[in-house]
Amino acid sequence: MRILKGNPVSRGIALGKVYIYRAFKADVHESYFEAGKEDEYYKKFKDAVATAEKELATIVTSMSAESPEKAKIFTAHTEILMDEEVDEGVKEMIYESRAMPDYAVDEIFTDFANLLEKAKDPLIAARAADLRDVRNRVLRILKGEKESNLANLRENVIVVAHDLLPSDTATMDRNRVMGVITEIGGATSHTAILTRSYKIPSLLGVTDAVQIMKNGDNIVLDALAGKVLLDPEKEVIKEYQEKLVEFIKEERETSEYLDKIPLVASGERYSIGLNVGDTEPEDGYKYVDFVGLFRTEFLYMGSEYMPTEQEQFEAYKKVLANAMGNPVTLRTLDIGGDKTLRYMALPKEDNPFLGNRALRLCLDHMDMFKTQLRAALRASAFGEMKIMFPMVGTIDDIQAANAVVAAVKKELKAEGHAFDEKINVGIMIEVPSIGVIADLAAKEVDFASVGTNDLTQYLHAVDRMNPSITKYYQSISPSMLRILGRIFSDFNKAGKPISVCGELAGDDIGAVVLFGLGLRKFSMNAANIGRVKRTLSLFTLEETKEIASKAQNMSTEAEVIEFVKAEIEKRNL
Amino acid sequence: MYSKNTELKNVSGLHARPASEFVSMAKTFESKVTVRRLDDEAAQPANAKSIIKILAQGLSVGTPIEIVADGPDEQEAVEKLFELVESKFGED
Repeated sequence: MRILKGNPVSRGIALGKVYIYRAFKADVHESYFEAGKEDEYYKKFKDAVATAEKELATIVTSMSAESPEKAKIFTAHTEILMDEEVDEGVKEMIYESRAMPDYAVDEIFTDFANLLEKAKDPLIAARAADLRDVRNRVLRILKGEKESNLANLRENVIVVAHDLLPSDTATMDRNRVMGVITEIGGATSHTAILTRSYKIPSLLGVTDAVQIMKNGDNIVLDALAGKVLLDPEKEVIKEYQEKLVEFIKEERETSEYLDKIPLVASGERYSIGLNVGDTEPEDGYKYVDFVGLFRTEFLYMGSEYMPTEQEQFEAYKKVLANAMGNPVTLRTLDIGGDKTLRYMALPKEDNPFLGNRALRLCLDHMDMFKTQLRAALRASAFGEMKIMFPMVGTIDDIQAANAVVAAVKKELKAEGHAFDEKINVGIMIEVPSIGVIADLAAKEVDFASVGTNDLTQYLHAVDRMNPSITKYYQSISPSMLRILGRIFSDFNKAGKPISVCGELAGDDIGAVVLFGLGLRKFSMNAANIGRVKRTLSLFTLEETKEIASKAQNMSTEAEVIEFVKAEIEKRNL
Repeated sequence: MYSKNTELKNVSGLHARPASEFVSMAKTFESKVTVRRLDDEAAQPANAKSIIKILAQGLSVGTPIEIVADGPDEQEAVEKLFELVESKFGED
């Protein structure tokens, strides 16, 4: 039995068969056929196109109900596939030059992709990626390989991949995927966030996973301890089956806390919020007091063009309806860094996390920013909406963003649109430079929410996408606890609401310490609600205060974790 | 042969949805239909029934274009496509 280690980003246990997922890699050489076989090879090409068309139609049909935005991408692929210029180009190469179909397809699509890439308009240049995608589909079919995506799995599997792209996870069959293992990605990567929200156990950063494991291998994925057991012995399997039962039981117990009123042992009430990233109604809405983080990137990333004001307005209204009267904090577009848009060519940056991203990017692309603010404000007529800006570093940033809100309000008023004139506008605190002047920031905003993931990244100077330095990513370090304590007390003093919507709020250990530091608003994924409510119910206010102040004075994160963990376990018995 | 000049009036120009609407409509006609941008001497007429060729023209808002059709339904083809451009593809 061999053991591989990784970073458990979504808790759980899975036993089952490996399914290696790799995107098709085209391997085409210049090659020709002998005269007389023109019709035969042209037919081969036409058949491949017909198969590709069918594949795309199946994807579009299966996706259009659940996520029409994502379906549009594949509709655009169909248009490219059926383009008559493509057909003519390939036909000419086959009949005039006797080029093998795969060579002809590769040449024609690559030519066209290069042509589009030269377009001055970055939106058009970005479409070249779609051409290459369609080319790969046709080449794969010509090669006789089956479509490989995670939508049509025939049995329950544990997916093993180098990395999963948002488009892979978008089509993933959630009922068949029991676990996910990837070679790269950290706790806050796209795959991590998604598997957590789907409650699929996952282990990321497993070096060479794709080479070491084979399709059909039996493995145990222990996403509690952070390991994969290859070819496990019978006793080990039995042991893990028992662990799995235990895990499910524990999950059920915490789920009993889901609909309890959030109270600590001494009776103080706090609020639980939900983090969401799409418009799907989910159970989590029933158990919370507010939506502390509504990420809007899905609208932009799932689309093949800049989402219109109307589309955004409809989506925002939908989330307000999901929230059933509770306030919704909408975070304006947060791209750059690890998230980019297919239709908006952004210059490559050496340090994207320190680059032109989030609010900075929005202030640079005023049309895009205003469109989103218009949609958010118009939606505010249909529920309690709050607007929040990410990646704020200075008071200048706040003032610049507030000025745009004021201008947009004026426009809407002149046009006669209804909106909440007293809408609350606030900021994410995730850049240390704004964290250390939280008292000044509090004067400029209606509220703030701490993004502990990015705050850790920037405070500790750790790229959170880099798996080789995860040990330096210390989100509950004494440094973090000191800056957090200050931020909470500055906002509490100013009488302005402060919440945490980062991973730390949904973590047992984190929640106890944050409560002790003065936090009363915790926003998290639905999967963590029961656990946090249960853990906090075990402590009195005084106890959390004492724990927090001790933790702030410890020397290392490891000490903090060990100490708070022991305090929780003591009360769990 | 029948032709008409116009200028793109919708903000997002001729890509994404507007481009595919334009191409879908062009495909409904039997005539050969092309689009040529008028602000570039070197520009070649592009096949209006090819999404790739239309995209490659990089037609943004304000670009003057010539729509040309040649065939049995040439006049109708040009007029219909002209109207579509004039309607700003339903954008505000």
